[in-house]
Amino acid sequence: MTKPSVPLGLVFSRSGPYAMMAGEMEKSALMAVDEVNASAEFDFRFVPHLRDPGGVVAAYHNACDELIREAQVEHIVGCYTSASRKQVIPIVERTERLLWHPARYEGFESSDNVIYVGAAPNHTVVPLARHMIDQIADDVFCTGSNYVWTWETNRVLRDIVGSAGGRILAERLLELGETSVDHIVNEIIDRKPAAVFNTLVGESSYAFMRALHAASLRAGLSIPMLSCSLCEPELKLIGPAASVGCITSSAYFESIASAENRAFVARWKARHGTDSNPSVDGQSTYVCVMLLARAIRRAGATDVAAVRRAAANHRYDSPQGPVWVEPTNNHCFLTPRLARSVSGSQFRIFWEADAPERPDPYLSHLDLASFAKPDINTDTAAKRANHLRVVK
Amino acid sequence: MTRPSPFTVRGRRALMIMKDEREIAIVRRQLDRLGMSVAETDPAQLQLPPDGFDVIVLDADAIPIKSDGAMSCKINVPIIALIGTETPSRLKWLLDLHPASFLVKPLRSAGLYTALVVAFDCAQRRIEEAAHLEKLEDRIRSRRIVVAAVLQLIRAHALSEEDAFTLIRQTAMRYRTTIEQLSAEIVAVGGMPNRSSRTA
Repeated sequence: MTKPSVPLGLVFSRSGPYAMMAGEMEKSALMAVDEVNASAEFDFRFVPHLRDPGGVVAAYHNACDELIREAQVEHIVGCYTSASRKQVIPIVERTERLLWHPARYEGFESSDNVIYVGAAPNHTVVPLARHMIDQIADDVFCTGSNYVWTWETNRVLRDIVGSAGGRILAERLLELGETSVDHIVNEIIDRKPAAVFNTLVGESSYAFMRALHAASLRAGLSIPMLSCSLCEPELKLIGPAASVGCITSSAYFESIASAENRAFVARWKARHGTDSNPSVDGQSTYVCVMLLARAIRRAGATDVAAVRRAAANHRYDSPQGPVWVEPTNNHCFLTPRLARSVSGSQFRIFWEADAPERPDPYLSHLDLASFAKPDINTDTAAKRANHLRVVK
Repeated sequence: MTRPSPFTVRGRRALMIMKDEREIAIVRRQLDRLGMSVAETDPAQLQLPPDGFDVIVLDADAIPIKSDGAMSCKINVPIIALIGTETPSRLKWLLDLHPASFLVKPLRSAGLYTALVVAFDCAQRRIEEAAHLEKLEDRIRSRRIVVAAVLQLIRAHALSEEDAFTLIRQTAMRYRTTIEQLSAEIVAVGGMPNRSSRTA
């Protein structure tokens, strides 16, 4: 007997400026759809309706409008950039549909009609900044793509670094897609900062990492680099030498050792080839579809109100570990992790949170005072005073 | 001077610095309904300073934060900011532009009239406050002159400080001039100026 079907909208820009990431996400969504459809655990099947807005922000509105009116979808998985998500939100809010959003983003948003499955800023930039201050340096050179992710990530970093008594040495931005990076690389080699915080995206980032690697070799320098967005397929694109050594914050790495993830990676490779790697955004898209499927099963219905209620606090042991939706802000509990990129286009995880962390999209619970370092001067003064007393 | 009513928007000129076609259509339709004249410019091709407008409707998301161009919008024309992204980095950028009012996206026909009224009222208040401030600053600047005039009268007529000041104040009232102006004349001529018959 065939299972009843549930139409599912998938909106990913397989063409256009971020086609690579969006392609990874669509592949992952379809993999999850096939698994749900083949599984006896779900008494329904998803019928995916694919739309490709080509990376054109204005096209997202029509793509979703069409999905809702013509394909009668109640749930849409998709969007990679914040600009595209903000196009979709008015439609899903007006028509009471649900957008399942896989990508990490800069926060400061919370729509009742979006389930934010990607990491919130407290999952990404905050642990990375803490690690930097504790282990690497207080002063940092920032470079990034000139858009909202960089602006906001650097703003948070500036607050945190400032609280620790450090400084943002420079903030050098490139237009999206720009690959002329020499002036930034030269400045870094000249100034020799203790750390470089890289929020460049796509080709800009790959060009920058290759150029900085080459220039550092020539100058005999080794400057730690930090990123909140680098993933395995990108390491491969950057190349074996230049991609190594980047300290990266993410909720997912292919190297997570859990049974769920090992099985997921095995299924991924069986489906996409042994030299293909899942990425954080791809895995998150897979989690979106699975969270939706499990919520539909739990609700026994597909309508948005019932699904949203069923998804709330419903734990899913995903490849990235336990994930569940926090109903007060529709973002997800996730486990932040830090890793270092190593050869073979992989990451070696060196830190992860003890438990999934509550999503804090407005960083309302960020305690800047906790980053303040004990006043070294006072300590030294105290020691000196003790010393003087001893002499006396 | 009659204060222009912020509720009267007909005939006022708006400049839309916006990118999104659907949003432009919504704002244009509503401004047309209100009887305002409307011009439009692409944020990327912004010619600054925009001249001859009573209000600017600015899509905050259409201009990169790290660009110099935006700050030249910092002119005396009230700005209505259209806000999509509520990140502090974007809001800080916006605060630097001193918006007179704002609208949160997605835009609807409702809300724009309120934003206009608040913007016009805010602009009017700013003008009045600036004038008031200038007046106060003038008075602070001339305080030295008033003190000098009071001292002059104390010495010349053996008055108490209070009586000297009262005399200046009453004389200024009688001749419909300001205390500061009369004080300047006292200092200049070395006593109460001649136009007063009752003083030396």
